[in-house]
Amino acid sequence: MKPRSLLSQSPTSLKLTTGCETLDECLRGGFPCDSLTEIVAESGCGKTQLCLQLSLCAQLPISNGGLDGSALYLHSEFPFPFRRLHQLSRSFHVSNPSIYADHNDNPCDHVFVQNVHSVDHLFDVMPKIESFVTNSKTRLPLKLIVLDSVAALFRSEFENTPSDLRKRASCFFKISGKLKQLANKFGLAVVITNQVTDYVESSDGLSGLRIGNLRCLYSSGRRVVPALGLAWANCVNSRVFISRSDDIVCQERRDDDDESGSSLVSGRARRRLDIVFSPHLPPSSCEFMITRDGICGVR
Amino acid sequence: MVAWTGLEHFRVGRFNPPPPAIEPDDYVTSRLPLSSSIRGKLISAGYTSLSSISSVSSTDLARDVKITESEAFEILKMANQISGSSSCNGRSSSLVNGARNAWDMLNEEEALPRITTSCSDLDKILGGGISCRDVTEIGGVPGIGKTQIGIQLSVNVQIPREFGGLGGKAIYIDTEGSFMVERALQIAQACVEDMEEYTGYMHKHFKASQVQMKPRDILENIFYFRVCSYTEQIALVNHLDKFISENKDVKVVIVDSITFHFRQDFDDLAQRTRVLSEMALKFMKLAKKFSLAVVLLNQVTTKYTEGSFQLALALGDSWSHSCTNRVILYWNGDERYAYIDKSPSLPSASASYTVTGRGLRNSSSSSKRVKMM
Repeated sequence: MKPRSLLSQSPTSLKLTTGCETLDECLRGGFPCDSLTEIVAESGCGKTQLCLQLSLCAQLPISNGGLDGSALYLHSEFPFPFRRLHQLSRSFHVSNPSIYADHNDNPCDHVFVQNVHSVDHLFDVMPKIESFVTNSKTRLPLKLIVLDSVAALFRSEFENTPSDLRKRASCFFKISGKLKQLANKFGLAVVITNQVTDYVESSDGLSGLRIGNLRCLYSSGRRVVPALGLAWANCVNSRVFISRSDDIVCQERRDDDDESGSSLVSGRARRRLDIVFSPHLPPSSCEFMITRDGICGVR
Repeated sequence: MVAWTGLEHFRVGRFNPPPPAIEPDDYVTSRLPLSSSIRGKLISAGYTSLSSISSVSSTDLARDVKITESEAFEILKMANQISGSSSCNGRSSSLVNGARNAWDMLNEEEALPRITTSCSDLDKILGGGISCRDVTEIGGVPGIGKTQIGIQLSVNVQIPREFGGLGGKAIYIDTEGSFMVERALQIAQACVEDMEEYTGYMHKHFKASQVQMKPRDILENIFYFRVCSYTEQIALVNHLDKFISENKDVKVVIVDSITFHFRQDFDDLAQRTRVLSEMALKFMKLAKKFSLAVVLLNQVTTKYTEGSFQLALALGDSWSHSCTNRVILYWNGDERYAYIDKSPSLPSASASYTVTGRGLRNSSSSSKRVKMM
């Protein structure tokens, strides 16, 4: 058993760009490899949008902030947004033609999609990922695993009794342990999305337990907490939170964009990404909006 | 009986070499206020050192030396007094081999260096920092700063002796994948900058040594192990003894976290308890043997008691006996606090701290107070 030299690695670990400068700045380059990052948000905030964009950005060369790799998208929320992925991939292809010019393929060829119905199904799929990584004959090696979302797997299966909760917690650690092992072995970035639940004031006070830098998380004007509780929070390395408010992004900004996405402008909501906790990031936040071409930061 | 010529060195050289540990001042001749005839009798009977006297009874001594029993008793009493008062030489006689008295141990413990946390308020409640020879457990909710403390300690243990540090190396056992090289580099840079500033200040008064360390050297002296399963974790802990024997400078072992792999796949909780307590015992042995600090980071879980859920450190009740010191980190309003939950030598107290870009520091409100003074 030998220690791993810290100097042989580059001083900053490899990061996967989000494809947006503002977000990258907030995340100091993007989502780190060999680490497990959780994106928490209520539905409609842009978790899936961000994940789709990440699966495409992974194909960028390392010099451009990508990982020179393909992505595996495990989805447990149905249906999978194929149309949206296709839409994003077209504009991604247009802006990065050089990656695909020599091989006559397109970005969608490097996003592998696998559905997951239940926790047991996930345990069944995870061992196969390892053989998939080692044996796959794809042009780009697997460099990103997205699990969207972990909460959907657990929402219905377990009761709220101490013994079931213990069983559930053991599953969390098993999932996280396996994913971290894969991440470490192959240098993968792992991104997991999670839902939120409404914060309920209760006598035991545990649902209001403060985890991370934000005392309370507000989304759409309500106070929320990440789903799956304390045990799951122990399983992730970093947690980011996305919230939305229905204010429309500033007027000047809209005029600039008018030519590119005039039909979408009216519905653009202000979204905010907060770092809840992370071993390498200070608490900070940034704002962004979602356009036809993907996520775009607002300064 | 050996023929005695009267020349001590002759006897020593020719017939019966004395135990090598005896130093001249341990000799009966120089230490006991005896008449010359009794002293001569003692030496001729082979009782040349205090330690040789202390292990016999007065009857035996009287018979061997051919003196009265009351004289022998007086000699033993004097010998005991002298060896009792000179206990600082650490070779005082003891009933059980290897047993040491509390006074020695206290002196030794006070001389042991402590590893600073870079937060003076936290150091204060810890009695000067994380103590060597002890196993210290630090637990708290996700995002409270456990990993930050771990990285900070692995950097701070390397502060050279001239600057009040230990000049040691660190072992970092990462079970969760939370150790970020870029963060360690940031903290190392801040540490080197602080030492340079200190040198600049000291230069005005007297010549102080230059800071030789570079942030890169600091990273080089952290032995980083990434552990991906509990079997690997057990194997590594078993291997540590050998590894540290080869790398004697290691002064701190950090496990971040001890818990992670033990919260999956363990249906048999009794077995888990056994494995964990064995591991704890090994850490305890390492800490004593190499006089290094062991810092175990632990997670927080909810414990179901009497119909309600309460917060507690993970791994159960029996684990809580495994560590010498236990520190709990928690939020109080917007500030981070550390609380000494268990320690044989420290009073329970709490102190606030913050995590800054440069590492662990005093929280801003208390630093204002310090400035005012």
